[in-house]
Amino acid sequence: MASTACFVIVSKNDIPIYEAEVGSAPKKEDMSYHHQFILHAALDVVQDLAWTTNAMFLKSVDRFNDLVVSVYVTAGHTRFMLLHDSRSEDGIKSFFQEVHELYIKIFLNPLYLPGSRITSSHFDTKVRALARKYL
Amino acid sequence: MDPLRSYLGRLLLEEITPVVMVLTTPLAEAACRKSGLSFVDMLSPFSLFKKIDVPVRTASEVPYRLQMFKIRMVYASDVQKEDYEVSDERIKPVVSEANEKALPDLLSDPPQLEDVLGKPKAELCPLWIKKFNRELMRTLSFSEHETFDHPVACLLVVSSMDKEPISKFVDLFNTNQLPSLLNEGIMDPQILKHYLVLHDQQEGPQDIAVSVLAEMRSTLGLNDCKLLCINSSTEADGSNPDNTWLPYTALGLENREGTCFLSTDDLNEIKDFMQDFASNHIIPYMEQKIRVLNQQVATTRKGFRNQIKNLWWRKRDDVPEAPNGPMYTFTSIESQIRVLGDFAFMLRDYELALSNYRLLATDYKLDKAWKRFAGVQEMSGLCYFMLDQSRKDAEYCMENAFSTYLRIGSSGQRNATRCGLWWAEMLKTREQYREASSVYFRVSNEEPSLHSAVLLEQAASCYLLSSPPMLRKYGFHLILAGNSYYMSDQRQHAVRAYRNALFVYKQNPWSYINDHVHFNVGRWYGVLGILDVAIKHLLEVIACSHQSLITQNMFLSDFFHYVQSMGKKFDVYKLQLPVFNMSSLRVIHEDHRTYASDADVDVSEGTWQELEEELIPSSSVVRTNWLDTQPKSSLRKYKDSCVCVAGEAVKVNVELKNPLQIPVDVSGISLICQLSTNLDALSFDVSGLTLDAGEDKVNAEPSVSILETDEDNFIVSKLDIILGGGESKIVQLDVTPKVEGILKLVGVRWTLSNSVVGYQYFEFGAQKKNKKGKRGRRRSFNNSLVVIKGLPKLTGSIDRMPTKAFAGDLQLLKLNLRNLSQFAVKGIKMKISNPRFVIPGDSPDIDLEFPDCLKKHTQSEINLVPYKSTKENFKGSLFAFPQDIEIQAGGTHSWPIWFHAATPGNVSLYISLYYEMESSSDIKYRTLRMHYNLEVLPSLDISFAISKSSSRLQEYIVRMDVMNKTPSESFVLHQLSCVGSKWAVSALSSCNSISSVETVSANQAVSCFFKIKDFEADSCKESESGSYRSDMALYPGSNGDVFDIARSPLADFHFQERYRQGKLAKVTCSLLDFVLISKEAGNSSKPSPDLQLLSHHTCHCSALSQSPIWWLMEGPRAITHDFSKSCCEVSIQLVIHNSAAHKSSVRVVTSDVMPEKSQTVHPHDSTSVQGGWHDVSLENDIKAISSAKGTRHEKQSSKSISPYVWCSLSSAQIELQPDSCSRVPLKVCIFAPGTYNFSNYELQWKVLPSKEAQVDENGSSGGGPGHPFYVTVLQSV
Repeated sequence: MASTACFVIVSKNDIPIYEAEVGSAPKKEDMSYHHQFILHAALDVVQDLAWTTNAMFLKSVDRFNDLVVSVYVTAGHTRFMLLHDSRSEDGIKSFFQEVHELYIKIFLNPLYLPGSRITSSHFDTKVRALARKYL
Repeated sequence: MDPLRSYLGRLLLEEITPVVMVLTTPLAEAACRKSGLSFVDMLSPFSLFKKIDVPVRTASEVPYRLQMFKIRMVYASDVQKEDYEVSDERIKPVVSEANEKALPDLLSDPPQLEDVLGKPKAELCPLWIKKFNRELMRTLSFSEHETFDHPVACLLVVSSMDKEPISKFVDLFNTNQLPSLLNEGIMDPQILKHYLVLHDQQEGPQDIAVSVLAEMRSTLGLNDCKLLCINSSTEADGSNPDNTWLPYTALGLENREGTCFLSTDDLNEIKDFMQDFASNHIIPYMEQKIRVLNQQVATTRKGFRNQIKNLWWRKRDDVPEAPNGPMYTFTSIESQIRVLGDFAFMLRDYELALSNYRLLATDYKLDKAWKRFAGVQEMSGLCYFMLDQSRKDAEYCMENAFSTYLRIGSSGQRNATRCGLWWAEMLKTREQYREASSVYFRVSNEEPSLHSAVLLEQAASCYLLSSPPMLRKYGFHLILAGNSYYMSDQRQHAVRAYRNALFVYKQNPWSYINDHVHFNVGRWYGVLGILDVAIKHLLEVIACSHQSLITQNMFLSDFFHYVQSMGKKFDVYKLQLPVFNMSSLRVIHEDHRTYASDADVDVSEGTWQELEEELIPSSSVVRTNWLDTQPKSSLRKYKDSCVCVAGEAVKVNVELKNPLQIPVDVSGISLICQLSTNLDALSFDVSGLTLDAGEDKVNAEPSVSILETDEDNFIVSKLDIILGGGESKIVQLDVTPKVEGILKLVGVRWTLSNSVVGYQYFEFGAQKKNKKGKRGRRRSFNNSLVVIKGLPKLTGSIDRMPTKAFAGDLQLLKLNLRNLSQFAVKGIKMKISNPRFVIPGDSPDIDLEFPDCLKKHTQSEINLVPYKSTKENFKGSLFAFPQDIEIQAGGTHSWPIWFHAATPGNVSLYISLYYEMESSSDIKYRTLRMHYNLEVLPSLDISFAISKSSSRLQEYIVRMDVMNKTPSESFVLHQLSCVGSKWAVSALSSCNSISSVETVSANQAVSCFFKIKDFEADSCKESESGSYRSDMALYPGSNGDVFDIARSPLADFHFQERYRQGKLAKVTCSLLDFVLISKEAGNSSKPSPDLQLLSHHTCHCSALSQSPIWWLMEGPRAITHDFSKSCCEVSIQLVIHNSAAHKSSVRVVTSDVMPEKSQTVHPHDSTSVQGGWHDVSLENDIKAISSAKGTRHEKQSSKSISPYVWCSLSSAQIELQPDSCSRVPLKVCIFAPGTYNFSNYELQWKVLPSKEAQVDENGSSGGGPGHPFYVTVLQSV
């Protein structure tokens, strides 16, 4: 079954620092901006929701028609946002947790400037592998 | 907040009101038409009563007063359900009307965040949207399942002109003309009837009407008949009505045609009529009906018994499920309850209404009449709202209704929309904006694109109103709305929506969003014909590197389409295509330092300065203030700025990058410059410009068109290139100032695809300066250059300078100098960074044939004069050209240059030429800097091993190992030379022909042996002959043409090599320098036009053993003696040579006892045959057996007694001066004929160090046994 999944890491300045279409649905040109719009709009909701809970995983915070936005907020207020069809929450949670570990590794890199774009190809392949595993 | 005062409250009060069905005769209608109005139009302004103040008593006994009341007047023909298509057509103008109003707004700047947040709430939801909402709700009028649109009363109107008015009234209420809903039994046809005679005053006096009225009263009833007179005003102008109509225009009454015959009296009469009609007829009728119905409901449904009965009855009655449930006629109890509820709602007895709705809801639910159920839920939700009770219940009811409507499919869609609108309004009243917007969004999904667009816009505004404002959601929904608008052909609205969202996405790093918004806004502006704004927006997206090729193409083609439809070129500041990498910006200008090629500029200034230290006058070495020497004080201001020369191009290198995958055509790339000849005026300007760098400068800059042409003062080069997809190129832009002044580099301009002119100003920020600090040359760089008077300039190049060479390659090159200016230059000097590789030749060499000029000339021609002169001129690496050389204006000059690839590796050669001006000018001298990189490949690897000859003094055996390290080339060895006249080299006598080694093929190694001899040793003079020369030809046929290594340039190169290889230490006589000259074998496929000559220099070779004492036995080798007479006495000499630098003492000890080891010595030949095998254990036995083998061993076989006896002295001690020979005479006495080896002696030597010098321990003393010296003694006959 073709599924949509768009994963974005948004820095605390609301700048996307990593973007990946990890769904199995064939990538369409016009959908990429569509996904961005939805994720961007969901930031408003995240902003409210992030301060109401101690949990990092905020579950699904927003939906647009049949697309759901699940969000994970790190301690540094970097947000992992996943736009997906309705799917198991557990898988998404584990996905986020593992990506968080990867992200911390990136963060530990002394040459990585926090808030800049993540260009590591290693990170990219790892994230895609995780997406295949959990999503 | 009082629900009645809220927007929704007022909406409900105005919309859910009693309906009066109007039936008119054509004549009555005609009378109204005179004023341009229909009858309903004429009455409707007066159907709203703001303060009717009527007491109302419904089911409860307590009366209350009704304040605001409204009656809806509807023609009977309109009492029917409208088609969706028709109603949608009616809504469309509402939207498009607003469209036209929006147009001027679009030309202004898009709103900013502060503007939007500061706006009052009312503006966010403009009037037309409210109107639209209302129209959308009205499309549901007269639906089957709701009764508040059912007519409460019927107004029958007959004109006084009608014949037989009474019968007309009957005709009017004829059943077959009535709306179908009434006939189908859905509406109750038994409604209140009211009769009206309309009299047109212009048609005649009022008497007829009065008589008709009287007649009506008698037949139709006294109270239900009325007379209304209109058109009493005689003057048909528009001036009067303005005042009288004024209070009513706001209510929607518009006099469109301008003529109006209605006087104030008429209007008052209409008003009174309506007041009477409402308060005396409609409201009492409704009260009556409520009471009756309530009674009925109470008896049939209220009470425990009725409820049981009802449940029982319904359960048994299993009706088949239909989408609308079972048919309910007006007589059914459910319909009556609904009517009761609606009437109560209209009379604002919400409690009564609610209780009835709730009662009904359970019934409909049981009946599975979902649409009706939803309708009832909707109404009870509104009741809750109006009562301002439990919000939760209200929301629950609305949600329930909404979802139920949606569930029943398409027939409930519009109802769902209406329900949603009410619901959203309800939430808005309670300031639950987020919920409201989500309701709007849900509603919008169910509607066609136009409606959904308006609804989405409302959703967006709700997000903005929520606190804190959710701007991203606002933007997103506006974008969605804009899209829907566009799909329904409302372009202005689409642009407006996108424009309003722009500030949300301003400077947004979400690239796809940005591109989408700007591209669509741009495109739609283009469609609307507002091209300049369109292009402005499209400019934002044309450099979209992350998009796919198709998208990029689309963006670009749209952009060019609009640009072309603009019909003119226009300038764009900071055009993004192509991208100019400003950090790559480099300005190359030449002051007193000139460069042979652009690549030479990359070499760091420090390298050049180091090179030129001795070259240029010392006063100018301090570079910062060389301008201080100028007498002109005005120039001193520009001490920090750079200097360039009029007539010489200033080059600017900048990198262009095409971010797209599509090739773009960039033409006319040129610099924007300003050249001011007025120094004083500009001095102020320069300082001003450097201060306000960056964005502020844009405004201050004069427009580009002014800067474009200044042809008198400078020339700007124009460059056209095509950049492929993703390509980046470094381009060089020139500006050539023509006059003195100050040249200011302002920016760069280019034309994209012949249609758009982009320009960009250079920014000279602080961080640039840091970068420049690294490169000395541009440290003081800013955008202004001082242009000084034209100067002579030399350009130079070395002809055929190789970039790749084999190690040892020797070539004659030519340095060409050209003077392009109008002045002569003189005093040329040259400095070369690496004289090991390049040395200047002598001037006569220019005509010589290479390599013949290197060949040895006949004795007469040799003179050392040129060699010496070169030495003088070429001290260190500085070379002064002869003083008489002067390069005239336009002239050229050539000078030979010798090139020798000394060592393998990558080598940078720096050559700097210094020259002075013939004419006096600001700058006294200039330098020309040349820089070459070359790669030297390894070719032949040569090593020498030298060992002393054991047979002769001052002779050495040399083994030369030649290894060819090239993968494919082979070389012919040509000549081996020893440097200096002291040494002679010759082939070994045993191998005269070495022709077998003449060629060294690729990857092969060759060894050959030579003998060298010291000429100058005093003791060895006797052996000088013609065969000993310092050069030896290795190539058989080349005996004649041996190259002379003692002449320039070989000698010079050798000097350099020697310096490098041995640090030029003290030259001791034992150190040897060899030069091997080889040629590249021309056997390979490529024909080599000129013979390649390689010379390898190996310096400071020395003998392997370092023993300073060298001895040799001399004497006769064969003696004939008559042993019968006496024993034979042989005189021999021991020649001892001290080659050490110090005095040494040598002691010679002879011994008559054979040392142990001498007995075991095998004959030399047999040892060599055995190849190193020594059988020690059996030696003595074999000796015994073979004792008679040869005569020479005869004497040795006896163990302890030597066959000969030293007879002169047993020990001698001599002292030897450094580098001298001494002879020790020795005598041996022999008793029998045979061959004797006089080696039975020992030499012990000791170096006696002079007082000051220390000699290392190893070489200070030593000793050794004697060398074998065979003498054969024969018996004389």
